[in-house]
Amino acid sequence: MEKKNPPKEFEEWINEKWGTEKLPVGGVVPYQSSYGYKTGDWSAYKAYINKEKCIGCLNCFFYCPDSAITMDENNKAEADFDFCKGCGVCAQHCPVDAIEMKSLR
Amino acid sequence: MMEPIIKGMTGDEAVAWAAKQINPDVVAAYPITPQTIIVERFSDYVNDGIVDTSFVPVESEHSAMSACVGASATGARVFTATASAGLALMYEILYVASGMRLPIVLAVANRAFSAPINIHAECTDQLVTRDASWVSLFGESAQEAYDETIMSFKIAENPKVLLPTMFGVEGFIVTHALERVDTLPDKAIKDFLPEKREVEYAFTPDEIRTFGSLVLQDYYMEIKRQQEDAMQEAYKVTKEVMSEYSEITGRNYEIIEKYKLEDADYAFVSYGATAGNAKAVVDNLREKGEKVGSLKIRMYRPFPAPDIYDALKGIKAVSILDRSATFGSPGTIVQSDLATALFGKKDVPSLHGYINGLGGRVLTIPEIEQIYMKTKTYHDDGKALTTEWFGYRKR
Repeated sequence: MEKKNPPKEFEEWINEKWGTEKLPVGGVVPYQSSYGYKTGDWSAYKAYINKEKCIGCLNCFFYCPDSAITMDENNKAEADFDFCKGCGVCAQHCPVDAIEMKSLR
Repeated sequence: MMEPIIKGMTGDEAVAWAAKQINPDVVAAYPITPQTIIVERFSDYVNDGIVDTSFVPVESEHSAMSACVGASATGARVFTATASAGLALMYEILYVASGMRLPIVLAVANRAFSAPINIHAECTDQLVTRDASWVSLFGESAQEAYDETIMSFKIAENPKVLLPTMFGVEGFIVTHALERVDTLPDKAIKDFLPEKREVEYAFTPDEIRTFGSLVLQDYYMEIKRQQEDAMQEAYKVTKEVMSEYSEITGRNYEIIEKYKLEDADYAFVSYGATAGNAKAVVDNLREKGEKVGSLKIRMYRPFPAPDIYDALKGIKAVSILDRSATFGSPGTIVQSDLATALFGKKDVPSLHGYINGLGGRVLTIPEIEQIYMKTKTYHDDGKALTTEWFGYRKR
């Protein structure tokens, strides 16, 4: 089987990780809200939003269980890959099929 | 060397006395035979205002260790004690304490597990916590119980280690036997152990931190590897602490105790109180012209593999006197560690494990001599490894 290189984005997440020497002892870290902990690298899929199709209905914004959807200045949806876990709920609820779930592999 | 203050104390009283001199910030404990006297005596010291400790009389051992974890996370110096079923009930929180790198000190009065219910000596309770990332020591006498209480704090709180530390003495045989104990003056303990423990991070109202956060596939293994690195440090630090303590007291402490091993052909390997009888047998057999010695494992985790290899190199056969139960295992608990430590090395002895003394059954001096003869026979028959139960009635 042909071995595919992971997307650049994915590689960057991997390189961001700390090793055992750099990690704080016992994993004790300063308190932060969940915005501080980027959990987007848990997923195998990401929501890619076609802004030309998006009608700004906010369905995805309200349905996203991780608040990973934001609206840009033109009221078009954007997915924040730092938090998007690729569940696909937004794609299911999009009335104009503007959201495609793409595998990162 | 310090002039000792000589006292007559049981093992439990010696532990409580050492804890009193250390004056920890928090003690959360639940009484269980044969550890009870440690908690009883210590709560007297609290009641009489001799110590400044906050004493938390919890409702179970699971809560005891949980309270210790909470207290230790604030940077406090924390002590507790338990035995047998109590240690088993703490098991879940043992991993939390070591994972959060909290230098709690735990005294264990080694006692058999139920069922059938039994309150007497057996070391299985402590040995089975070997994978919990706790530094684990064994003591032979009330004197060692006293000394190891003090040394445990110094080992655990070393910033390179920061691992909880437990030490065990056998129930009743040590905990309830009245012995001479050479104690240190309070000042000597204050000089040996800093007033407060060195704290890099703590859970305080001014400094909010996340302890024990969720860590999944991405970082979990890295955090666990830190504990292994800390264990390797503990191996060095324990040696340093023991030699420093030996200088103060004039009592020779090492992670393993070697007794007449230099020219020995055969040896006993034991830990805890059994080592006392083993040494008596060595003396008896030496009088009869047998070349035999004894090795006592004082530090069980981290396992002192290089030291044990150096001590046993060139010896023909070893009898492992193991006061612990294991079922369906290829060897006794300590024998399995020994075999791993020695496997594939040159001039290693054959290993003969004897599961003995369960539930407080006495292993007498003639019985140990019998074990010695058995080991010799097995060795002459060319057996490299044997394991058997010793000292039970067949019919």
